Amino acid sequence: MAHYLIKRLGAALMTALLASLLVFLLVRAVPGDIVAQMLGQAGDDAAAERALRRFFGLDQPVWQQYLSWLGAVLQGDLGTSWTRGTPVTDMVLKAFGVTLQLGLFTLAFATLLGVPLGMLAGIYEGRWPDTLVQAFNLLALSAPVFWVGLMTLIGASLLFFWSPPLVYRPFAAAPTQNLQIMLLPVLSLGLLQAAAYSQFVRQAVVSALHQDYVRTAIAKGLRTRVVFFKHILRNILIPLVTFMGLILIQILGGVVIIESLFSLPGLGRLLLTAIQTRDFPVVQGGLLLIVGVAMAINLLVDVLYHVIDPRTRAS
Amino acid sequence: MTDMCADREAAGTPCSRWARRFGRSLRRHPEMAFGFAIIAVLLAMVAVPGAFTARSPIAIDVAKGLQPPSAEHWFGTDDIGRDIYARLVYGARVTLGTVAGALALSALFGGLCGLIAGYFGRWTDLVGGRLVDVVLSFPPIILGVVITGILGTGVGNLMLALSLVYLPVFYRIARSGAIAEAACTYVEAARALGYGEARILFGHVLRNVVPLVLVQYMILFPLALQIQAALGFLGLGVPPPTPDWGAVLEQGKNYLMFAPWISLFPGLFILVSALGVILVGRAVQRMIDTA
Amino acid sequence: MGKGRRNAALGMAAGWVVAWLAWAPASAYGPPVDGAPLGGNLTIGSLVEPPALDPFHQAADARIAVSLLMYQGLMYEDPSGAAQPLLATGYEVSDDGLTYIFTVREGVTFHTGAAMTAADVKYSYDYIRNPDNGSPGARDFNAIDAIETPDATTVVFRLNRPNAALPMTLTNKYGAVVPAGYFDDDAARNRMNVESVGTGPFKLVSFQPNSLLGLARFEDYWEDGAPYLDEVTFLFMPNAASLLVALRNQRIDLAVLGRPQDSEQLAGVPGLEITRFPSLNHKTLDLDANHPVLSDVRVRQAISLAIDKDELMRAAIGDYGTTIGTIVAGMQDAWGLPLDQVPFQGPDIAAAKALLAEAGYADGVDLELATIIGYDWMDPAGATLAQQLSEVGITLGINKVELGVWISNFRSRQMGFTFNDWGTSPDPHLLFYRHYHKQPSGADFRNWNNDDASALLAQGQATADFAERQRIYKAFQEIFATSVPTVMLFSPDWVVVTTERVKNYVQHPTGWYFGLIRAYVE
Repeated sequence: MAHYLIKRLGAALMTALLASLLVFLLVRAVPGDIVAQMLGQAGDDAAAERALRRFFGLDQPVWQQYLSWLGAVLQGDLGTSWTRGTPVTDMVLKAFGVTLQLGLFTLAFATLLGVPLGMLAGIYEGRWPDTLVQAFNLLALSAPVFWVGLMTLIGASLLFFWSPPLVYRPFAAAPTQNLQIMLLPVLSLGLLQAAAYSQFVRQAVVSALHQDYVRTAIAKGLRTRVVFFKHILRNILIPLVTFMGLILIQILGGVVIIESLFSLPGLGRLLLTAIQTRDFPVVQGGLLLIVGVAMAINLLVDVLYHVIDPRTRAS
Repeated sequence: MTDMCADREAAGTPCSRWARRFGRSLRRHPEMAFGFAIIAVLLAMVAVPGAFTARSPIAIDVAKGLQPPSAEHWFGTDDIGRDIYARLVYGARVTLGTVAGALALSALFGGLCGLIAGYFGRWTDLVGGRLVDVVLSFPPIILGVVITGILGTGVGNLMLALSLVYLPVFYRIARSGAIAEAACTYVEAARALGYGEARILFGHVLRNVVPLVLVQYMILFPLALQIQAALGFLGLGVPPPTPDWGAVLEQGKNYLMFAPWISLFPGLFILVSALGVILVGRAVQRMIDTA
Repeated sequence: MGKGRRNAALGMAAGWVVAWLAWAPASAYGPPVDGAPLGGNLTIGSLVEPPALDPFHQAADARIAVSLLMYQGLMYEDPSGAAQPLLATGYEVSDDGLTYIFTVREGVTFHTGAAMTAADVKYSYDYIRNPDNGSPGARDFNAIDAIETPDATTVVFRLNRPNAALPMTLTNKYGAVVPAGYFDDDAARNRMNVESVGTGPFKLVSFQPNSLLGLARFEDYWEDGAPYLDEVTFLFMPNAASLLVALRNQRIDLAVLGRPQDSEQLAGVPGLEITRFPSLNHKTLDLDANHPVLSDVRVRQAISLAIDKDELMRAAIGDYGTTIGTIVAGMQDAWGLPLDQVPFQGPDIAAAKALLAEAGYADGVDLELATIIGYDWMDPAGATLAQQLSEVGITLGINKVELGVWISNFRSRQMGFTFNDWGTSPDPHLLFYRHYHKQPSGADFRNWNNDDASALLAQGQATADFAERQRIYKAFQEIFATSVPTVMLFSPDWVVVTTERVKNYVQHPTGWYFGLIRAYVE
C-alpha cells in the first residue's frame, strides 16, 4: 500500500510540474499581453510600454520568469494578480469555494434524483417505468447544459416573474440567498448528471439482477429488499464512488458558461476573465489548483478502490 | 478500471455476424430505429442542404428581422432577417462536420499514440501517460479558449482545439485496449511464429482496439457537440456569416425575451443530434457486447 | 487671491485672457437638485467589468466609467464641449497660449483624510506625463513642459507648444489628483483596487472579481450636499440575457444598455423607465494604409462609397442611433462638416465600381474584415457589410478576433481592415490628434501618414479661437473623408433603463457614470 501510494504521489507531482510548465508556455503563446491591454488604443509610447513590461517582469526571458514563479509556488506563494493586485491564492480559493459548492450541490442533486430513478428503471427493466426513465435520461443527456440554463433563466423570469439574486454570498453567511442563487445553476447542471447517474445505476442493477447468485437469492425466497441492499447496492457502491469523482472533476473545471449565465464568481469565470485580461499569475494559479484538485480526487478514488476491493491490488 | 479482458473478447468477434445481429437488435430495441432515422436525416442535411430549403442561409434582409415562425419562415428570422431554418440546415455541415472531424482527428492520433504506448510500454507509456494526465485535467472549455486564442478562430482551428481536448480520452482507451491485447496468448504465439512487432501491432492488436475507439467516439460525440456549441456561445466559434448552430444560439441570447425562437431551435437541433448519436452509439455498443 | 499678486509672482506684466474665473462651483456634473432626498442605495448592472480601478495605468473604458466617481481631475468634460472647473476653480491663459495658471479649489479632502494642495496637483500631473511611469494617457499631456506651484492654491502649466485642448485634457479620463508621493511605493497602484485615495464623491468599499464594485458616499466630499446616494453598487454580469432578466425582475435599478435595441425587450414592463441620450461613442471601419489592397486610396474611396450606413446601423443597433459623416454625433453640430458636404458617401455602387476598376480590381478583390469577439454589434454589421461590398465585387471574409489579440495587432499597426468602437472626450483635438496625426507625435495606428491632415491637426491644437478652430477641423474632415483612413459609421444612443425609484440620472455622452453624482432614489 505504502509503495503504491508513493508511486502514485510521484506520478501526481510529475504531472503537476508538467502541467505548470505547459500552462506557463500556453498562456504566453496567446498574442497580446497585459501591457498592450493597459495601454489600449491610446498609449503607444515605447517608454511607457517598457516601463510596464519591467513592472510585471515581462522583460525577462521566459525560462527565468518560469523559474522565479515556480520557486515562489514551491514556497506556497502563487503571486499577485496583475490586474487586481491582490494575492492569487486568495482569489482562486475564494472562487474555488463557489465552484466547489456548485459541484457538491449538483452531485447531491444528481445522486438524490439519479440513483432512485436508475434503480426504478433497473428493477422494472423493459416495463413502462423503465421506458419513462430512459426517455428522461436520453433527453437530459442530449440537451446542451448552457442552453438548459438559458431556458430555465428565461422561463423563470417569464413564467414566475422571478430571477435569481445577483450577488453570491456563502451558504454560512446567507443561507436563503445562497440557496436562491444556486437553484437554477444546480438544476441546469444536475439534470444531465442525474441522467448519467440514473443510466449508470440502471445498468448496474440490471446486470446484478442477471447474476446467478442474485437470481438464486430471489429464487430462495429472500425478500426483494434484502436482496437489493445485500447484493446489488453493495456491488454498485464502489463504481458509483468513481463516477462521482469523475463528475466532480468535470464540474469543477467545466462550468464557465453556467457561472457566467448566473453571475456566479466561480473558478471557471475567474479563469476566463484572467485569460482575457492576460492576468497570467491568476491563470497559472487557477489552473494549477484545478489540476491539483483533479489529481487529488483521482488519487482518493483509486485509494478507496484499493482499500475496498482487494482484487485491484494485483494490477 | 474496466474489465479489459471482457472488452477484448467482445472486440475479437468477426465482422461477418454483425449484420444478423443488427437485425435482431433492431427488433428488440425499436428506439434504435429512431436514432438511425435522426442520423440519416442529419447526414442528408450535410450532403444536400439545398434539398431541405430553397432559402439562403446568409442572405440578409434587415427589414424582415426578428420575424416569428411562420409558413414562410418555419423557424422565424434572426436580427438581420436571415432564415433560421436555412441557417440550421446549412449549419449542420459546419457544426457536425467540425465535431466529427475533430473527434476523428483525436481518435486517429490519440488512438495511435495510445496503441503504441500500451503495446510497447516503458518510456513511451511514461511520457505519454503524464502528458495525457495534464491535458485531461485541464477544463475543456478553458483549453478551447486558450487554443483558439493562440491559433485564432475559424473552422479549422476550432476543429484542432476540440480534437486536442479529446485526444487523451482516446489515448487512454487505446492504451488500455493494447495492454490487454499485448498480454494475450495470441500475441505470444504470433511472436513465436516470427511475426514482426509492427505486423502484430497493426495486423492484430489494432483490429481488436478499433471497436473500443469507435464506441468511445460515439460516447464523446454529444459531449464534443456541447463543447463546440459552448465555444460558439463564447464567440469563439465559426466566424460569421458561416451558419453554425452554436453561433445562431449565441446570436439569439440577445433576443431571448423578444424572439426566443432564435436560440430555441439551434438548442433543439443540438439536442436531437446528440440524441440520435447516443441511440446509434448504444446500438453499436450492444452489437459489440452481445457476442 | 488678487490677480496682480499672481502675475507679479510669475514675473509677467500683462496680456492675460481670463477664463472661467467665477464659475459657480456646483455646475460641474450638472445642476444640483434642491431638496433631493439623501441616502439610499442604487444597484447598477454592467456587462463589462473594469480590469482595475487605477486611473493612471489602465486605458479600459470600463475603468474610466467608474473611476471618475472616486478620482477627479482639475476640470470636468462638460457635454457642451467646454471644460468646466472641477478641482480647479478657474484658470487663466497667456496670450501666446503657452502658460496656463489654474487656481486650485480650497477645502478639498482626499479619501485618506489629507487636504489637497497645489503640490498634489503638480505631483499627479507630473506623474502621468512622464512616459516612464507607464500611463496610457502620457501622450495627451506631452505639450506640457513644466508644472510649477508658486503657492498652495496655484498651479502653473508651462507648455512647449500652444494647446487649446489643455483644459479638456485635465479632465477625468486619464489621471486624477492623488496625494503627492502616492506612487513612491511600487505596490501603491495595486492598493487602488482595495482603497481609493482620490477626492471624488464616492469612495471604494469593495471590489470583488467577477462580482461587484461597491462604493459609498464620501462624507468629507467638497461639494455641499452632494452626492445624494449613500451607496452605489455595480454588479458585473457578462451575459446580456441575464442583465435583461435582472432588469425585468428589478434585481438592478439601472443599466446602460450595450445594445440599445435590447430596450425593446423591456418596453412595457411595469416599473421600468427607458430613456435615450446622445452619445460621443462611434462605431467605425478602419482601413490600414499599409495593407496591400487598401493602400490604394481609390479602393478606400470605393469602400466608403459602397457602404449603406443606414442599413448597417439598422442591422447593428436598430434605429437607436445616428449615422455619421466624419465626426461623432455628439460633436456634429459644433465641429462637424455638414453631412451634405462630406465627399465619398454611399451608397453609390456605380461610382464605387468605377474606382475599383481604375485601381485594377474590375474583376473583384478579396478582403478580410476583423471583428472583435464580445462586441455584439459587429457580427450582424459584418454580415451586412459583406453583402454590401459584394455588390461592388469585393468578397469579404470575416475574422473574429479576441479583444487582447486585436489590441495587440492594432498597437503594432497591423490592424488591416477592421471594425472599431471608441468614444472621445468632447473636443476635436482629443478625438482626432492621437489617432490621425502622423508619427511620432500622433500614434497613427492606421499608417495614414498624411502630411496635410497632420498640419491641420497641429494647427487645430494651437488655435484657441472657436471659429478659427471650427474652420481648421472642417478642412481636416474634408481631407479625412476624401482619403478615408476610417469610415465613420454611426453613433449609437445611450439607452438607459432604470426602475421608477431612480430619479435624475442623466447619462453623460461619454457613456461614463457621471450621472450617479446627481442621481437620487425615492
